[in-house]
Amino acid sequence: MIVKDVVCPFCGCLCDDIEVEVEGNRVISVGNACELGTTKLVGEERMKKPILRDGGEWREITYDEAVQRSADILTSAERPLLYGWSGTHGEAQCVGVHMAELVRGVIDNTSSVCHGPSILAIQEVGHPGCTLGVVKNRADLVIYWGSNPIDAHPRHLSRYTYYADGFFLENAFRDRKIIVVDIRKTETANVADEFLQIEPGGDYAVLSALRALVRGKPETIPKTVAGITREQLIRVADLCKEAKFGAVFFGLGLTMTQGKYKNIRNAIELVSELNRHTKFTISAMRGHYNVYGSNEVNTWMTGYPYGIDYSRGIAFYNPGETTAVDILARKECDAALIIGSDPAAHFPRRCLEHLADIPVIQLDPYPNATTAFCNIQIPVAVTGIDAEGTAYRMDGVPIRTRKILTTDYPSDEEILSRMYALMQEEQER
Amino acid sequence: MRFLMITGRTVNQGVTVENKTSPAYAEETSTCFMHELDMLDLGLDDRDAILVTGPCGMVVMRAVVSKEVEMGTVFVPYGPYANHIIDAGTHSTGMPDFKSHVVEIESTDEEPKMVHKLMEDLGGLAYDR
Repeated sequence: MIVKDVVCPFCGCLCDDIEVEVEGNRVISVGNACELGTTKLVGEERMKKPILRDGGEWREITYDEAVQRSADILTSAERPLLYGWSGTHGEAQCVGVHMAELVRGVIDNTSSVCHGPSILAIQEVGHPGCTLGVVKNRADLVIYWGSNPIDAHPRHLSRYTYYADGFFLENAFRDRKIIVVDIRKTETANVADEFLQIEPGGDYAVLSALRALVRGKPETIPKTVAGITREQLIRVADLCKEAKFGAVFFGLGLTMTQGKYKNIRNAIELVSELNRHTKFTISAMRGHYNVYGSNEVNTWMTGYPYGIDYSRGIAFYNPGETTAVDILARKECDAALIIGSDPAAHFPRRCLEHLADIPVIQLDPYPNATTAFCNIQIPVAVTGIDAEGTAYRMDGVPIRTRKILTTDYPSDEEILSRMYALMQEEQER
Repeated sequence: MRFLMITGRTVNQGVTVENKTSPAYAEETSTCFMHELDMLDLGLDDRDAILVTGPCGMVVMRAVVSKEVEMGTVFVPYGPYANHIIDAGTHSTGMPDFKSHVVEIESTDEEPKMVHKLMEDLGGLAYDR
């Protein structure tokens, strides 16, 4: 059976034109998806049953036992951390927020280690953004700053920018200019009309120089700024001002380097300057599937996008204090629920040393690096493959994902709801 | 020699990321992409093992020539190897310095460990399927 218009469950592009051939209960071929999406849809061998760490070995347990034990761990913890959430759907994220409030825990999502700094900048100066459809149909200039979509979002260029047709562009491939700013000469840089290879840590200075040029102050620019010549900076500023519609996409090259959110703030303010001359937008290249959704769900439920601490009984938000890496590194939490992420692969070692010391529950279909630190792992359905739900695309568009397989695995929402019900009972006692 | 270590996404890291117990994931995330002249300075051939020392410890990776990185900079795909030496400080932002760590690199006779071994070194217990 061929299923059309499947939504890809891998990255924030949420490509919704995937064709999947299903035979029995397996995906046997995938059309239209990139290598990342194809591998995810075809799938790896999953964990069969919930597992419990019993001293120096693992043993399989039932779902009922796993849910009961997990609820007990979270209820008896004083400061549990509920982390991850980007690999799951909005419905499960909602249950997570209720759960965090009930146990007075901290709920944080993977954006604290990806575009959290971008959100901090947006909170300071706003977000002149737009949907990807607008970029595709209107943008005649696209800037990728500190992002390498050919590796991280492989279809971004073909669906929305470099290789895409545009309704308001006569010949999009010819008329659309691409500028890439990076410290590495990446594959994406190879297709650029202009490549600005900046020195590491030079983003803030280059953004400031471009702002000065857009403001009409070329005399303030030295011969080179962070390795970029004055001539190239002037050329790029002119390209931006002459564009009918420009779109900046920025990646972790800005959020993970020195300056962090101040880099993004400067980029947003450059876009704001450019809007005095033409139309310009800026958006984050959100990486992990439904990470945008975790920010949305958290914001509408708590008022804050990530790093929300319920220890006071009300939502408190202070990134750097209430974010997962900091809480783990300070050895603050006394239990952790991990879902839709793999912090053991992506967090600094000091955080893992603390994970090894506390009870950890993980909801994940596959054995991963975090499995080694778990007391309990509960295998769940993969959202977008054998569980349906709502996910947000990187531009904030919610998309309903469907099931393409039917398996016996429960969804994240189902397991979390069962845990939550038990935790409510326990609290009422 | 001292280098600036940058971490980031690669296609191979993304393809293997859902199968972290696989040798392919270990191989990709333990790869340290370097400029060929830097490798020459260190007397390294392609795929030689290197000891990378960061502010929080050391880890063995493999050096691979890349035309994408400049001299003085190395690139390691996101994963447990780079994170084995990355500091957890976030300057009150929640975000560690994943793309701006100064590391020391030297050649070594040791081999890179598998992911589960790295996790066990930090107090975890490997799970075999």
